[in-house]
Amino acid sequence: MKTKLNNKSEVKVMTGNETAALAATLCRPDIVAAYPITPQTEVVEKLAQYHASGKLDAEIINVEGENSAMNSITAASLAGGRVFTATSSWGLVFMYDAILVTAGARAPVVMVNVNRETPGMIAVSSGQQDMISTRDCGWIFLIAEDCQEILDMVIMAYRLAEDHDIQIPVMVHYDGFYLSYMAERVEIPFQKNVDDFLSVLKQQPERTKLMPGELLGCGSHGILGGYMEMRHKHCQAMERAKGKFEQINLEFEKKFNKNYGGQVEEYKLYDADIALLASGSMCGTIKTVIDEKRKHGIKIGLLRLRMFRPFPNEKIVQALKGKKCVGVVDRSLCFGFKHGPICVELRSFLSDIGDTKILSFIDGIANTDIKKDNVKKMIDLIIAGSKGEDVPEVTWVSYDENHGGN
Amino acid sequence: MVEKKKKRLSKVFDYLKHEDPFAKGVAFCAGCPLELLVRFIPQVLGNDIVITGTPSCSAPVLMGQNTGSWHKLSYYGTLMTGAAANATGLVRYYNRAGIDNTVICFNGDGTAADIGFGNLSGAAERNEPFIYICYDNEGYMNTGIQRSSTTPFGARTTTTQVGVNSRGKNLRRKNLAMIMAMHKIPYAATATMSNLEDLAQKLLKAKQIKEKGFCYLHVFCPCPTGWGVGPDMSIELCRKAVKTNYFPLWEALNGNFSFSKQVKKPKPVKEYTKLIKKFNHLSDQELDILQKDIDYEYSIIKAMTKLEKEIK
Ligand SMILES: Cc1ncc(C[n+]2csc(CCOP(=O)(O)OP(=O)(O)O)c2C)c(N)n1
Ligand code: SF4
Ligand SMILES: [Mg+2]
Repeated sequence: MKTKLNNKSEVKVMTGNETAALAATLCRPDIVAAYPITPQTEVVEKLAQYHASGKLDAEIINVEGENSAMNSITAASLAGGRVFTATSSWGLVFMYDAILVTAGARAPVVMVNVNRETPGMIAVSSGQQDMISTRDCGWIFLIAEDCQEILDMVIMAYRLAEDHDIQIPVMVHYDGFYLSYMAERVEIPFQKNVDDFLSVLKQQPERTKLMPGELLGCGSHGILGGYMEMRHKHCQAMERAKGKFEQINLEFEKKFNKNYGGQVEEYKLYDADIALLASGSMCGTIKTVIDEKRKHGIKIGLLRLRMFRPFPNEKIVQALKGKKCVGVVDRSLCFGFKHGPICVELRSFLSDIGDTKILSFIDGIANTDIKKDNVKKMIDLIIAGSKGEDVPEVTWVSYDENHGGN
Repeated sequence: MVEKKKKRLSKVFDYLKHEDPFAKGVAFCAGCPLELLVRFIPQVLGNDIVITGTPSCSAPVLMGQNTGSWHKLSYYGTLMTGAAANATGLVRYYNRAGIDNTVICFNGDGTAADIGFGNLSGAAERNEPFIYICYDNEGYMNTGIQRSSTTPFGARTTTTQVGVNSRGKNLRRKNLAMIMAMHKIPYAATATMSNLEDLAQKLLKAKQIKEKGFCYLHVFCPCPTGWGVGPDMSIELCRKAVKTNYFPLWEALNGNFSFSKQVKKPKPVKEYTKLIKKFNHLSDQELDILQKDIDYEYSIIKAMTKLEKEIK
């Protein structure tokens, strides 16, 4: 922390969107293609502004839709370029076929997705449903908590995606409406330090590139053996990404004096007997409530997911083992299950965690704020659960379930 | 007479300056002119091209399977939905990195006119510097001969069948080449395999002009299997299509139209349709509708060529 001031060129108050655009700019992409959608639009505008002013030296493709954004940058990435895009909600869904190809081709694309709901046209509201609906696409998913982390995470995302041992696209998620529009204090690193941090990639063996005149076909997985080999290797690389991300976080700390934890952040968990598991911007509020509760002697902590794909099950099991009761907060739904999706995934490791009681909380969708009171309500239920009282397995925190009708 | 014929042949061969990068036997149906087309392009333009393409009849041969390949070209196979966007990404990066390139986005009518039309139009509007070639076999052949928007009026396909409730496709075809020319791109042209010199010249022109931006080639490419003709009929169909004005050969530079070959006395379209099974149910009345459609399309192109002269 001593050398902190030397590590940032400037401190600015910026929205999450502006931060994301700046972060991408600092990483010097070759090709940027993006299409506007609420709540991401500002990212596209800022990138255009940086390009116009000469701050961003990249080819900008003003595509006619998100599908083309992902297709064009995937191809550019396979040709050897560093690429970037940003989207949200319907935009992510509209590039769904393309993101599957990106992953299948192991193209080291980096993008941000500004989380938003997806039930219908007017669902211009908060939620991680877009992330959940695309979770099995084969990308690495990271989730940022605040504007500073958006900046730092995008930089780390390039290290992770382009690492020769990984070569998997990375999507950095942050909450639409909350982080996208919220202006916060952000420390901007020196360009030289970012260049240094990313220069490690240049020392690695060059990745295979699609070049004119060089006998190379790509895009197909073939069938049978060839297909399985590629998929198996992809899965293995996904597993490697966990450790690699920890390592990149440590290197990041060395260079920029900031440590968020790796795949997960543990907040006051060490002596806690109950805990919340959550991700994204709500974690700020949760931490505040935890601080208050601890003043009243309640030993509660937070486990914040920073990495959602690959799923950091080892870290989670390690952190939650022995806790009496854990509440998982989901900002999205898992249709066909009562529980929220992250809760469903956590429950698949229940036997490793032990006899911890797991509660599912659905909240923060449809622009309902996750306020301190909501968190308190969750904690009350967790405390009750830890005492063996009869509490519902799933609670829609901001919704009266006796509303009636179908 | 014999000598004259030889001369004509050698003229085509003059354009084949490069090696045929394909293996001897490839997985097209017998007589499929698509094979001639994919062998022809690199022999005219060189083997240092990058081809991108999508699922279609051309994909199995261009893509290969596992580590096996039928050719020595760089090929990037991707989805039907994003063909032109992929070519855009490639060419933008190559140009930025100073890498010499000729990127050819090679797709069927299903990708070009239908599911991938949006991004084709987008790339044309942005004037992306690559060559888009649509080979038009008037349907989705790879999935088993379904109609596409370029399937002509009356044609029988597996989704426009002939029965008491249906007489084949009851809608007119989309004139994609004209639509692309209307983007006022640097180069748009039609071509086919009966007129190989014309095709070669157009390929070479496109290679040159693509430095200035988007080039579009629409290549008429019969499908013997899907249309119900023998494998020896493909080139004859191309020729008849030109001679009946069913598929006129023209080019448009920056929206300025000219005929590449003007047929003096065009034969009735019946001379063409009678060779093809997919039309064999059509009544004289129905053939008349098709004829009117062909005449109408031709009159537009003709008007456009006149317009060009006025502008000049
Ligand atoms: C998004 C999507 N929908 C459907 C298909 C199935 N499909 C494969 S090839 C094909 C037809 C392609 O038609 P065209 O582009 O005209 O090429 P052709 O087969 O005629 O050569 C279709 C519909 C697909 N690959 N992708
Ligand atoms: S189905 Fe038609 S287009 Fe496809 S390979 Fe056979 S003949 Fe050629
Ligand atoms: Mg077709």
